[in-house]
Amino acid sequence: MKKVISSLLLVSMIGFSLPLASQCNPDNFANACIPKLASGFNFLKSYKVDGEGGAKDKVEYSYVFTKGTQYMINLCANGSATDGIVVTLFDSGRNKVATSKINGQFISAIAYPCNATGIYYIQYTFDGSSEKCGGSALGFKR
Amino acid sequence: MKAIRSVLIVLVAVVLLAACGKGKKPDEQAFLKSLDSAKKGPSIDEEVINSILQQIPSPLEISVLLKESGTKYNFGLLNTPDNLSKYNSNYKKALNLGIYGTDLGYTNIYQQNQDGIKYLASIKSLANELNIGQFFDIETIGRLATNSKNLDSLLLITTQNFNDINHYLQTQGRANLSVLLLTGGWLEAMQITCQVAVKDPKNKELREKIGEQKIILEQIVLLFSFYKDDENMASLLKDLEELKAAFDKINITYTYKESTMEVVNGVAVIKDNSTTTIDITEKDVQNITTITNTIRKKIAS
Repeated sequence: MKKVISSLLLVSMIGFSLPLASQCNPDNFANACIPKLASGFNFLKSYKVDGEGGAKDKVEYSYVFTKGTQYMINLCANGSATDGIVVTLFDSGRNKVATSKINGQFISAIAYPCNATGIYYIQYTFDGSSEKCGGSALGFKR
Repeated sequence: MKAIRSVLIVLVAVVLLAACGKGKKPDEQAFLKSLDSAKKGPSIDEEVINSILQQIPSPLEISVLLKESGTKYNFGLLNTPDNLSKYNSNYKKALNLGIYGTDLGYTNIYQQNQDGIKYLASIKSLANELNIGQFFDIETIGRLATNSKNLDSLLLITTQNFNDINHYLQTQGRANLSVLLLTGGWLEAMQITCQVAVKDPKNKELREKIGEQKIILEQIVLLFSFYKDDENMASLLKDLEELKAAFDKINITYTYKESTMEVVNGVAVIKDNSTTTIDITEKDVQNITTITNTIRKKIAS
């Protein structure tokens, strides 16, 4: 019976500790991204980028961007600057408007002076990302 | 043997309790109990609602536009913080929490800290009554508000607090309150912009700013359509549909043209070559202003 109790305890401990060990914590990355917005930009939103260990190949949010406003979207991840996380901006017709991967180079921030008001999709993808886990912040200035 | 069985039962009970109670603090349970509005959830997936909710832009963008276009600060445009005692239902509390949030943002942008502190007190009170007061760090905000050098931190912390509230409400399956909060905030920003635009009818930028709200109103009306079973929300939906009818006269034409990009100091700088044109007349602005004011009056008074 002692063995049964020990096994049960062990299973419970593994059950509680596993999610902690393997879980992505995108909140930390998203919060770390907020102060990295360039000077003059007002914080709007922070976004979690959690690829759920490879289960998701993209994470998407949307926001209404308005003409005459400049937006900045930055990226934060573990290790190297963006860990292969790419942010791409699409308009409501799904036309590509901007991307953080330019000529094979991963850039950690996009500055987008919006010229056309509408709903935009902010899509995060993983291009050779080791952890598929990060965060992002959106800011604006006039 | 009996002792071992008891230990096992206790152990299983502890594991089950830990699993069931995960993420549900006592204050959350009290909050869920306290709701008196829209107890019936919508038939649509909450994820869909949340994805629409996150699109709604911050009213702060309009306050910044007004200040930078040279519009003077006008406390008279705002909902007085003294109206607090009028808000007795959670429906009204959530809407006016949104309204006061926009007013606080407006006072912050104009660095009118004394007025801002009055709004803070009303916001804290409404948030407490909705059991979401824990998200307002009133001491820190109050301290930041006393010094104009802290503007960036003040804007940051208040935006974060409102984001946290919306996120919390959505994760608790009470997105209806989040819809009301964001709608209140949007209506107040609309009302302020309309009042300013009516006094300055030749200001094309302001007219266009009002016109482009058509896109946001469409999303808000869509959100409200999910809550038709709730009497209060159905009534507000009717008013919002009247406002939408006024906006339907406005044409927004979008033309896509591929953007160009270059990397400057480690930032991908985009040149947006797409355009929108917004056809809105002075008469449209007057019509929208009248309907907006009527709705806002119903909510705030």
